[in-house]
Amino acid sequence: MGRWNGGETPFRRGDDRRGFLGLISELLERFETGLGEFVLIENSYLILVRFRRNTSPPHLESFGLAELAPPKIPRGRIEMRLCFVGHRLSARGGCVGRLLKGMLSFRWIRSILGLGTAAALQAASAPAPTAEAIRQLPPTAAFQVDFIKDVQPILEASCVKCHGRGKEKGGWRLDTRETALAAGDSGVSIVPGKGGESRLIHLVAGTDPDEVMPQKGKRLTPAEVGILRAWIDQGAAWPANVGFGRVPANNLVVRKPELPPGKAGHPLDRFLEAYAARQKWTLPKVVDDRTFVRRAHLDLVGLAPTAVEWATFEKDRSSDRRAALVKRLLSDRQRYAQHWLTYWNDLLRNDYKGTGYIDGGRKPMHRWLYTALRDNLPYDRFVRELVNPTPESEGFTKGIVWRGAVNASMTPPMQAAQNVSQVFMGVNLKCASCHDSFIDDWQLSDCYGLAGVFADGPLQMVQCDKPTGKLAPLRFLFPELGAVDATAPRSNRLEQLARIITQPANGRLSRTVVNRLWARLMGRGLVEPLDVMQNPAWDADLLDWLAEDLAANGWNLHRTIELILTSRAYQLPSVDEPEVAGQKFAFRGPILRRLTAEQFRDTLGQVTDAWFDKPEGGLESLMLEPSAAAATGTLPTPFWIWGDAHAATGVPPSTNWLRREVVLSVVPEEAVLYLQVDNSARVFLNGKRLRGTESSDWATASVYDLRSGWGKGTNVLGIEAINGGDGPNPAGLLAYVRLRSPGGKPGEKGGQTKLDLASDAAWKASKQLPARWPAVDAEADWQPASVLGGESMAPWNQEPRLARLADGAVVFGQVRSALATADPLLLALGRPNREQITTVRATAATTLQALELTNGDTLSRLLHRGAEKLVAKHPTGRPLVEHVFEQGLGRPPSRAERQASLELVGNRPQLEGVEDLLWSVAMLPEFQFIR
Amino acid sequence: MQTDYTRRDFVKRLSAATMAALAAGGARVVEASEALPKLPATADAMIVLWMGGGMAATETFDPKAYVPFEKGMDPNRVLSTFPSIPTAVDGIRFSEGLERTAAVMDRATLIRSYTAGDLGFILHSRHQFHWHTGYAPPQTVACPHIGAFLARTLGPRDPAMPAFINIGQRFDGGESEELKAFTTAGFLGSENGPFNVPFPDAAKEVVTPPGGMTPGRFESRDRLYRKLLAASPVGQLGSTHQRESLVRSMDNAHRLLASPAAKAFDLSLEKPETVAKYVPGGWDFSRRLGGDFNRDGNYEKNNIQRFGLGCLLARRLVEAGARYVEVTTEYIPFLNWDTHEQGHEKLVNMKKAIDGAVAQLVLDLEERGMLDRTLVVLASEFSRDMMQEGKPDKPIQNQVPVPEKLESMTHYGMHRHFTDAGCVLMFGGGMKRGHLHGVTADERPCKTLKDRVVIEDLHATMYRAMGISPKLAYDIEQRPFYVTRDGSGKPIASLFQKNLPEA
Repeated sequence: MGRWNGGETPFRRGDDRRGFLGLISELLERFETGLGEFVLIENSYLILVRFRRNTSPPHLESFGLAELAPPKIPRGRIEMRLCFVGHRLSARGGCVGRLLKGMLSFRWIRSILGLGTAAALQAASAPAPTAEAIRQLPPTAAFQVDFIKDVQPILEASCVKCHGRGKEKGGWRLDTRETALAAGDSGVSIVPGKGGESRLIHLVAGTDPDEVMPQKGKRLTPAEVGILRAWIDQGAAWPANVGFGRVPANNLVVRKPELPPGKAGHPLDRFLEAYAARQKWTLPKVVDDRTFVRRAHLDLVGLAPTAVEWATFEKDRSSDRRAALVKRLLSDRQRYAQHWLTYWNDLLRNDYKGTGYIDGGRKPMHRWLYTALRDNLPYDRFVRELVNPTPESEGFTKGIVWRGAVNASMTPPMQAAQNVSQVFMGVNLKCASCHDSFIDDWQLSDCYGLAGVFADGPLQMVQCDKPTGKLAPLRFLFPELGAVDATAPRSNRLEQLARIITQPANGRLSRTVVNRLWARLMGRGLVEPLDVMQNPAWDADLLDWLAEDLAANGWNLHRTIELILTSRAYQLPSVDEPEVAGQKFAFRGPILRRLTAEQFRDTLGQVTDAWFDKPEGGLESLMLEPSAAAATGTLPTPFWIWGDAHAATGVPPSTNWLRREVVLSVVPEEAVLYLQVDNSARVFLNGKRLRGTESSDWATASVYDLRSGWGKGTNVLGIEAINGGDGPNPAGLLAYVRLRSPGGKPGEKGGQTKLDLASDAAWKASKQLPARWPAVDAEADWQPASVLGGESMAPWNQEPRLARLADGAVVFGQVRSALATADPLLLALGRPNREQITTVRATAATTLQALELTNGDTLSRLLHRGAEKLVAKHPTGRPLVEHVFEQGLGRPPSRAERQASLELVGNRPQLEGVEDLLWSVAMLPEFQFIR
Repeated sequence: MQTDYTRRDFVKRLSAATMAALAAGGARVVEASEALPKLPATADAMIVLWMGGGMAATETFDPKAYVPFEKGMDPNRVLSTFPSIPTAVDGIRFSEGLERTAAVMDRATLIRSYTAGDLGFILHSRHQFHWHTGYAPPQTVACPHIGAFLARTLGPRDPAMPAFINIGQRFDGGESEELKAFTTAGFLGSENGPFNVPFPDAAKEVVTPPGGMTPGRFESRDRLYRKLLAASPVGQLGSTHQRESLVRSMDNAHRLLASPAAKAFDLSLEKPETVAKYVPGGWDFSRRLGGDFNRDGNYEKNNIQRFGLGCLLARRLVEAGARYVEVTTEYIPFLNWDTHEQGHEKLVNMKKAIDGAVAQLVLDLEERGMLDRTLVVLASEFSRDMMQEGKPDKPIQNQVPVPEKLESMTHYGMHRHFTDAGCVLMFGGGMKRGHLHGVTADERPCKTLKDRVVIEDLHATMYRAMGISPKLAYDIEQRPFYVTRDGSGKPIASLFQKNLPEA
């Protein structure tokens, strides 16, 4: 049977466990009398049922196990049911759990029976206390009891953990006086005016040693029992404004506060001024330009400013040059992405290596994330694509699965629930993944309710590794924001969830992210901890305004970052006082921040020009950015070519062989091939196959590292180009080789010579597999390649850009640390292993870390490499020392510093001295902190 | 650098640094733990000897019927591939090749009933995670290694010495990410993390100035740093909290590198005859241990000295004040104890690698009067068997193939993973001497029959020996995280020499 038409009262959520139980007992009764056509017991399990609210007649769904049609029920099962009722009635329930194989908790069974038959009801309700028992109670307190002063502390200490804050053990809740006076599973607990007869008093006094409250924690003293007894005797007064129900959600409802009055033009400054006035705090002056410029560079692009960048800033004489700098840095898409990638990798626990990858238990999403950051994807879309992912972005909710059996609280759907709620909603569900949380209101059913959205079928709740037999109804953390339709297929459920989370009415999403940004940029959040957004902000108006501003402006994170960086709050001198636990936080300026591992490593890279060599995760093809100097026409022009002049209009699926000879007098230091091909290709340099980041569509350039394999003299670049498809279709190949040799033209010191080349008439083609391919030494098979047309020709219709893209990006040899796997130095400086979400990195200096800095191989080798480069560039001491200070600390050395450095380095610097200078500067607090 | 510092100064500064680090975000003990009774420790230091890859009990400390190799034999007949030998204790026998360890069995407590976690489809590193943290991965928080818990709770015995030192494991082979996942202080903060010494022969280098740096240069570099520090305009702005702790941490590192404690890392200071007692054939310190993970079947033979050097180093470090030292035979998939073929031949070499080293470590500790207060624990993530994979009643996928008839030595050995009974050998630290715990079946499956030991209880025993309650918990995200899972571990009282006071 799939439907049941006999029910008059649909089960409703909210009030409705009781209604639900009533329904079940009604079903049980019908079954007992043989009237129903439904089955509630299968293999000794109860099948729990529930109704969808809005159908008529109510639609009965399985709430647990599959329903069976009556004819399938063997007689034995019926007896099983009778058997369990019988046991319940005779033996205080001991074997009920056993018969049910632990699928249902004792309380549920008792509740079900309690509402079932009259006999069961009577058995389940506690008997009235005997006169003897009442005599044994501690005496009633002999004074007029005050609820708030006398009773509330007792309830808070001993009762609320299980009967308040959303929990209702034994079906009894202390939310309000009304709920406290209502009957729980074992009957009424409080009878106003009759303390001695109230079950509550007997439970806390321990009349029945088998049933004493509280079940956990300290027993009540006789004096406390006396107070409760007196309180009930005196009528159980309970002020209406006091309750122990669920704490209402904070930071959830959208709210746009008015800007405080004032003269400041910047909205955040108005809030700051109002805050300072309230705090009777005289705002200090903003920091000097050097400090600001270093801060802004490190925060926006993750690197200290270069001397050139500093000069550019200084040259700008306009009054808003700080704001202009912020804009300029935000528009530096690549460097912005390469810096913020670190932050989001931590937050989304995305990494190039880690547990789970070993057998497909994890999926990286670097390309998606890099693109999202580079293009400043609106945050609501960003979240939607993570919650309801494409194959590119599914790594986040897919989770990390180690091989083997996994604990119930860590199955992929549970991980998804934990991570989605933590990252986007500032809700920590980790406690509630195993049991109802002891530290906040979140319950096991909240976590499972959200996990169910990601699961393939209904999830059975498991409490601390023990199955509860209960299925979790789907539930979003904050039901007021909406519900996910449990009957919808998974993909549809994810879409609904993504919509609920990113809807404008969800003020939690925007608050959570602006708070994260604020914390990242200011060293401390408006709300702390960042993952407990239930906590109040130290300036709620400021938080709410920023959040609403984000949502109202297309979820543009750049806007929020810009607002913060241009605010006076950001530009105040930094403070470095540890926060005292228990003391109210007072904002006095940004917190002094330590460089992240990546900022440290990259700034050293910038000082020395010693970087990582190749990006991980195939990111090179995303790092392309057109050069500004493109229009000058100094770059060769690529053309679409093929072995067949009609290729653009369509040729049958086939392979062409193309080649280009390159005669070199020096071995190049940079050599990258950018290739767009309709449809795919295999690349060979001097007969050796090279693999690159190969794009699956012609519109995106594939990138090949060609740096090795060149020789002086003639080199051959060979490409096996394949036109795919089923029938005739356009074919073409567009190639550009960035080829640079060291040393510039005469008079151009330290530069490079461009030897770039592009696909054109100088290429040769063969339509048959040439003899000895991929070695190319016979001329016989080859014809000049057919030039089909320029980049913009049909059917490709592409804006001419390949040469500019190749010219604008250095994708190998100067790679930032966010794009590299962790080495011992990055690990020692705090890059987390990304097995768990990291919202704030520990930045405390430790001795083990200092050991790595003092004698670690990684840094030692890096400094050696860097010293080589520096000495080559600055053969004399003074300019070298100047350079290290300018680039490393953003200022020239003082006289004393210059002198001390020169003493070590000397006029003709040797590698060792330079390594030691670099080390000493990098170890300075001035280098390692963002002031 | 100031060269006139006194040791006491150093001690004071180091612990101040530790305190500062903790104040800056290290995990706190949860309140309930503060109320736990103080337990008298039976050990001050711990050395874990890790047999990574799954040490077959029936080939080492729990030998069963020996069936020599014959061409065409039925593999089901084989329980042990070595004959057994007597030990110093009547009634306890080891497998051949462990003669020297057998001679110190009278100082040992041997557990034969260790039951590994039931984690399904075998991944060594996952069981190793479980053994070292007490929790099965994945977890919602980064779990600390047992060494990190000890480091955080007890600190080093000598402040100049890192509290948690991990010897012999490299992190660039197979499953390295999985190994890193538990070789960590996790949420306890990196101050409590492992000080990794992957190559024991070159341990000196991890505490001496970087390669190619003379002591003179090391000092002049430090002088420049101090001058710049003093000259820096920021330096003149006065001290601030984070800046101070950075400078202090640099001081500490410099001092360790220049301190006498660093000498403990220098194995070449040992007499060659002492080295030869730990290392088969001795060791020439101008040599370097090899780096290749060579799978041609000779790896174990070629790396036979590695573990002995690690044990010798462990002894020196504990003498110099380390709290927790782990020495591993090294886990590399399909090498060392992880025998998927040639099990018999490989174990001949594995036993050579450990036998003298374990025995000599015990004898040296005893000679120095340290054995009573140093708990030595030899263990592995699980055992192995020729036929049985996983638990007897739970078949597991992807088992190593075993032919119906053995035609060559390739298939003669314990090539499958067995979790129901494994050996843990303990010495000193308050454990009984010449004691046997647990009984296993003499016929396949050689499962635990009596006195089963699970990781929670083994850990509780180890923690208890160190004076720590299994219910000790640290605060992470406002919730308690216990040193044994959910505080559930119970020390095995019968292993201790003396009656334990009620915890």
